[in-house]
Parts: sequence; structure tokens; C-alpha cells
Amino acid sequence: MRSLFSNKMAIFLLIFPGLVVMLFSIAAPVILSVYYSLTQWAGFGELTLIGFQNYHNILLADKTFWLSLFNALVLMVITIFIQNPIAFVLAAILTKVRKHSRFFRTVYFVPAIISVVVITKLWVNIFNPTYGLLNKVLKGLGLEMLTTAWLSNPHTALFAVIFIMIWYGFGWALLFYYSGLMMVPKDLEEAGIIDGASPLQLYTRVIIPYILPVIQAVLIIDVVSCLKQMEIVYLSTAGAPGDRTQFIANYLYIKAFAYSQYGYGNAIGVLFVIVAVLLTILTRRITWQSPDVE
Amino acid sequence: MKRNVFRTVLCLAAVLILLPALLWAGGKQEKKPEQILLKMGDNLPDRTGTWGAVVEQINAEFIKEHPNVKIETESYPDQPYQQKIKLYAASGQLPDVFKYWSFSTLLKPLVDAKLVAELNVADFKDLNYLAGALESNTYDGKLWGIPVSGDLWVVYYNKRLFKQVGVTVPETSDEVLAMIPKFKAQGLIPMSTDGKDSWPLCITWDNIIGRLTSDYSIIQTALDRKMKFTDPPFVQAAKILQDMVKARLFQADLVTSDYGASRNLFGQEKAAMYLMGSWELGLVTDQNFPQGFRDNVSVFKFPLIKGGKGGRDDLVAWFGGNYVVNANSKYKDLGIEYLKFYANRFPTLIWEKQAAVPAQRVEATAKDSELAKSLLQIAADAKQSSGTPSLDRSTPAFKEDEQKFVRDLAALVLTPEQFARQLDASAETAAKQ
Repeated sequence: MRSLFSNKMAIFLLIFPGLVVMLFSIAAPVILSVYYSLTQWAGFGELTLIGFQNYHNILLADKTFWLSLFNALVLMVITIFIQNPIAFVLAAILTKVRKHSRFFRTVYFVPAIISVVVITKLWVNIFNPTYGLLNKVLKGLGLEMLTTAWLSNPHTALFAVIFIMIWYGFGWALLFYYSGLMMVPKDLEEAGIIDGASPLQLYTRVIIPYILPVIQAVLIIDVVSCLKQMEIVYLSTAGAPGDRTQFIANYLYIKAFAYSQYGYGNAIGVLFVIVAVLLTILTRRITWQSPDVE
Repeated sequence: MKRNVFRTVLCLAAVLILLPALLWAGGKQEKKPEQILLKMGDNLPDRTGTWGAVVEQINAEFIKEHPNVKIETESYPDQPYQQKIKLYAASGQLPDVFKYWSFSTLLKPLVDAKLVAELNVADFKDLNYLAGALESNTYDGKLWGIPVSGDLWVVYYNKRLFKQVGVTVPETSDEVLAMIPKFKAQGLIPMSTDGKDSWPLCITWDNIIGRLTSDYSIIQTALDRKMKFTDPPFVQAAKILQDMVKARLFQADLVTSDYGASRNLFGQEKAAMYLMGSWELGLVTDQNFPQGFRDNVSVFKFPLIKGGKGGRDDLVAWFGGNYVVNANSKYKDLGIEYLKFYANRFPTLIWEKQAAVPAQRVEATAKDSELAKSLLQIAADAKQSSGTPSLDRSTPAFKEDEQKFVRDLAALVLTPEQFARQLDASAETAAKQ
């Protein structure tokens, strides 16, 4: 056995298939994307190399790009500071409430497995100002002054779209936290309680540091998926009103296939990869170095 | 060792004996004619009614004449369909025959990239195409697609709702605006249209320009940079369009209401009027809508604007939709044969089904619906027509920009002056390309 692993040829042959897959499915598209981002091209027909002109236009002259990034950041903040804490608290409750825990876990997870098209259309209909459920309920409760066109009103559009995204992804956060919390050894909790820790101290000083790797994983997935949001935007508002609900991935798609500016779309894609990698590194840095040291 | 050799030889012998038998049987199969799968694409997801059903019928008749052919169609709503075709063009996976549009923003890029097959004008010139129809699909003196519908911009309305509220067909835009409180009092939306895709609002802007100036050609003049979009007629038209939105003429979620949603508002009788094109003749036969609606749907010409020079017979009309053949298709000749078949059967079938106004001449029959007769009459009354709408006269980027700016104008996020400035800047960029 030892001779097998010390044989460099054997190691190479075992890793090689995985490397090839990674090269084909990740590295090659990124390299091609970088190449296309240096061109002015419709995706078909004549291709012209224009150097870094696309990057220049995006970073210095494209308000929509920065607005899309900003919207993704808003989504990230809401996901990290509102969705995740709620999911965590709910997961903690579910670990204690044994009786109907499975039923509730299923109920909370169901949105995450339904097709995103169905979810978006469902909420677009609920938010509809003419026949939607939300406005009807508000009217019924005598709160007619709060009714509005949720997805068309420039003041409420972004939050309505973010709400759909949070609702859709809630089940995943809950699932991760629940699994993480179930892995905490009972002895650790009991030791904490014996030592006189209050429930709040138990969680913040003992349990959360213990499941920090899980929290880190959830945060990284959240950061990347906040940047990747496309389907919900495309199917609900398509970025309107006035780019208030535009997100990077949707903007990239529209630039490439509606504007027929394939090179520009690829440039946005490359910048998107850079931003995602930077944010991932940042997230790892923060969650790795911040645990309370006794 | 000997046993192994013996076994190997036995296996090889078995294979060598079976092989010719298999090849002979396989050879017998090849005598059957080759099964051809013709891939198609269009923007008609509903195959049970109106235009979609007509295409299905044409396909069925075509298959009867070509028993070895199977047809597989991919359908999506308008804008996603156009984006999908561009995606397919980029990845070399275009369908064999597909619906497209004749504009410089859509067909021309495919022609320039040599992705569509050239058609023989002689095959089509005796099929009663309306004046200008085949020409709209011609670039460099060659024909690249067959036009399918004659498109007019009109206002559909529900006669029953009009009677219920106590209004008559309006002549001017002031009369239209005066009707708004009456409809709202009964909980109805006065007019619905597709604001999410925005091109209907762009075409409406064109229509208002025509009503103001009686001269649709100034749009092309501005695109050719001999005028600017910041000139008075364009800004004034933008202001009138925005005032219509501010007066709450349209549904509250105009800018996020897509084609299907806005059509349904009208069909389910939640909106009294529907601002759309003549290809929606099928409203009168769409089984998804109540009979009461279908019996009461009619149409009137786009109203006059007070103080404007344009008359009601200055029509926004063009030939948009067409069918093209993929130049790199394995079955190019079969595809062209399909187009000829389609061109022959389409006008009769579509008029029978009362589903759209074709680009070919049709005779009005006694059993035509009132809606069909009215549409034919509007077309016949036309004193001038606009040709291709503004958004499709330039580059794809200009089209997307105009759609975006008009949508932001309707969302009250841009003033008419800001709209004009941004549109002009986009036209300047497009002209340089």
C-alpha cells in the first residue's frame, strides 16, 4: 500500500481524471471568457479584438454595473444579518423540540426544492397590485394606504425581489444550521450548563464557536449565491424600475444576449469571478480569525 | 494454460460467426427511408389555440406529404425566445427552420454572419404578398425570410365594459383620459399593455410622434443623425406618453407586467382596453377567455392628439414576424420546401381560424368576426404607414437602450428631457458602429 502512494506515477494517474474534469468545466470556460472579454462580438459573425475597452467602459462609465453590485451587497447584508440569524434560531428551536421537528423541517425546506420559476411566478402573483393576495389582505385588514405595486414601485421593488430570494433560500440555511447543531456533542452542552452558563452564554460561548466551520460554509455559499441571482430577477422585474432591481448575473445575460454585446457580457463575467473570489477570501478571513479566544 | 487458449479461440470463433449475421440483418434495416427530424422554433407556446394551433395544423399537413419527417418545435414567449435564438446562434445550434423578425436589429446580424439561407424570390412572388412585405425581408437585393403577418398598431376594447361604464369609442387622447375616472370607479383598469418588455410602449411613442407631426420619417432622420432625439417632437411625445402613465391610464404594475399578464388582464375583463398589434386578432377565438369577452372584443384606431398634425389614418404598420431557414442546417432544402408549404397554407388557415392578419392578401368573408372586419378596414383606410418601428431600425444595443429608457420613462424614473438626452446619446453610439 505504501509503495502505491509513494509511486508518483500512481498518484498522478489517480488525480488525473479529476484534474481533467476541473480543467474542462472550470478553467477552460474562464480562460475563454477572458479571451472573449477582450473582443467586440455579437456571439456570432464578425469578431474584433478591442483590448481592455470593455473593462474601461464597465468600471468607469457603467452605472448599471455598480448598481447591480450594490444590490447584491444589499442582498448579502440582509441574508447574513436577517435571514441567517432567523434560520439559526429556528434550527436551534427545532433541535430542542423533538416531537414535530421533522414536520417543520420539511415545511421550511419545501420552497428550496420547488422550481425557482414556480416560486417566482407565485410571488409575482401575490405581489400583483390588481388581483394579488398581499394587497387584498392589506385591504381586508383596513390597511389600504399601505397597498402599492410592490414590484413596480421604485421604493419597494428591491425589497420585494430580495424577499423572494430570502424566502427561497431559507430552507438551505435552516438545513445546514440544523445539521451543524445536531453534531454538537451532548456532553459539551451539559458541561456548559453545569458550569453555570445561561442559555445565551451557552450558545454564544460554547455552541457557536464549535460549529464555526458550518457557519463559515453557509456564509461562503450565501455570498456567492447572492452574486449569482439571476432567475428570480429575470422572471419578476428584469431589473426595473430603472435598474433598481438589477443584479449582476441578470445584467450579464441581458448584455450578452439581448444587447448582442457578447464581449461586454464576458467582461462582466470575469469581473464577477474576481469579486466572488475576493469576497470568499474575505469571508474566510473574518470567520477564521474572529472566534473569542479564552 | 491450454484450457485458456481453447476458451479464447472458441469466443473469437463465436464472434466471427455472429458478425456477418448481424451485419446482414443491419443491412436489411437500412433499406427503410431515413427518418428526418426537423427542428423548429417560434414564439407561440400555446399550441391549442390561435396562431400556435395553425402552425400545428400546417406541420401535420406537411408531415402527411413527407411521412419520413418528424417536426420538433421549441416555443418561448417573445423576448426570451429572441435571446434563446441568439444563444443558439452563438453556439451553432440554431433550429433548421425558425420564426424570426425582419428588422435590422434581428435578421440583419444573422444575415451578416451567414447564418440564414438565401431564398429564391421567384418561389414566393406569386403568393399575394402585400406591398412592401417581401421587401422588408430583403438585404443586398436578396430575400432572406418570408414575412408572415401584417402588423398594425391599434387599441382593442371591450364593448360590454364600455356600455357598462357609459362611454363611447374615443376620437382623441383627451377623450381617452376623460374616461379614466369612470373606469376606475367601477374597479376596472382603463388600458393594459406589456410594459415589462417595453417594446409596445416604444411603438406607442412612435405613434404619438406620428400623431403630432404627421411624419414618421423624422425617426429615421434622427437615427441618421440629421436630427436629434432632443428635438421638440420627440420630447413632446415622451411627455405625452408619461402623462398617460401619470393619469393612471395603465395597470398599476405597468413596468413589471409582461405580455401574457397584460393580455390576460384584458381577456379576463379586468381591463377595458388593450394597446397591442393586429396579430392579436386571435383574441376573438381564444378559448381561454370567457365567451362574453369574445363576443364583445372590438378595435379602434389609435386616437388623435389635440393640436397634432397627424390624422387617424396615419398608421403605425410594418412587417415584423418572418420565417427563416438555418444556412448550416443538414436539411436546408427540406427547410426551404417547408417555407414554401407554409407560405401557401398560412393565409387561408390563419384567416379561417381568425388568428392574425397575414402579410398576404386575404378576402373578407361573410363569416368574419367584427374584429377581423374592423382590422381589415383599418388597414384599408391607411393613408400612410410608418414602416419598421423606431426601436428596430438600428443596432441591437440601441433597441435595448430605447426599451430601457422608455420603460424608465413609464416608471417615472426619468423625465422626458432626460429620456431624450439618453436616447440621443445611444443613437450617436449606434450611428458610429
